[in-house]
Amino acid sequence: VVPGETALAFYKAKNPTDKPIIGISTYNVVPFEAGQYFNKIQCFCFEEQRLNPQEEVDMPVFFYIDPEFAEDPKMAKVDLITLSYTFFEAKDGQKLPLPGYQ
Amino acid sequence: MSTAMNFGNKSFTPRPPDKGAFPLDHFGECSAFKERFMECLRHSGYESAACRQSAMAYLECRMDRQLMANEPLEKLGFKDLIKEKSEEKPEK
Repeated sequence: VVPGETALAFYKAKNPTDKPIIGISTYNVVPFEAGQYFNKIQCFCFEEQRLNPQEEVDMPVFFYIDPEFAEDPKMAKVDLITLSYTFFEAKDGQKLPLPGYQ
Repeated sequence: MSTAMNFGNKSFTPRPPDKGAFPLDHFGECSAFKERFMECLRHSGYESAACRQSAMAYLECRMDRQLMANEPLEKLGFKDLIKEKSEEKPEK
C-alpha cells in the first residue's frame, strides 16, 4: 500500500449459529503510533450489522494511509501495519463509546 | 488481540470512518467483483497499487446496487484512472 493512495481490503465474517446475530465491531491498529495515519473512508464497522444463521459475508474496508506517514521519522522503520477487527454481539441499547460520532 | 495494551497513559481511540458504514452485501451481489480484485492481488504479490482498477470496479458495483452512497470516483482517489478511461471528458 502506498501512503496517500486509496486501498481496499476484505475481511470475512460468519455466523456459525442457528440464530441471527446482531454484531458491532471495532478496530485496532498496530503499531500504535501508525494508528494516527490510518484513515478509513468507509467500512463495515461501528454500526450494527445483522448476520443471519450460517451467513457468511464479505466485509470491505476502504482506506488510505496519510501521506504524512512517509515524512514521519518515527515511522521510518515501520513497513507493516496490521489492522484487526473484533466483533461484539450487540445488546439492546448498547453503543460503543465514540466521542463525537452521532 | 482485541485491546491495545500500552504502557503509559496513551490509549488507542478508534475513529469512525469518514463516509460511514458499508451496508452488508447479504446477497453477494458484488462478490464477483471482489473475487476479481482478490485474484489481481494474488497475481501481483499483494500490491494494492496494481489492483486499483479492480478496486474501483468493486466500488462501482456497490454504488450501482445501492450498497454504497454514490460518490464521484475522482473523490475516492481514482482520479487518474478516470482520466485514463475518457480523455475527452472536460475537467471540472
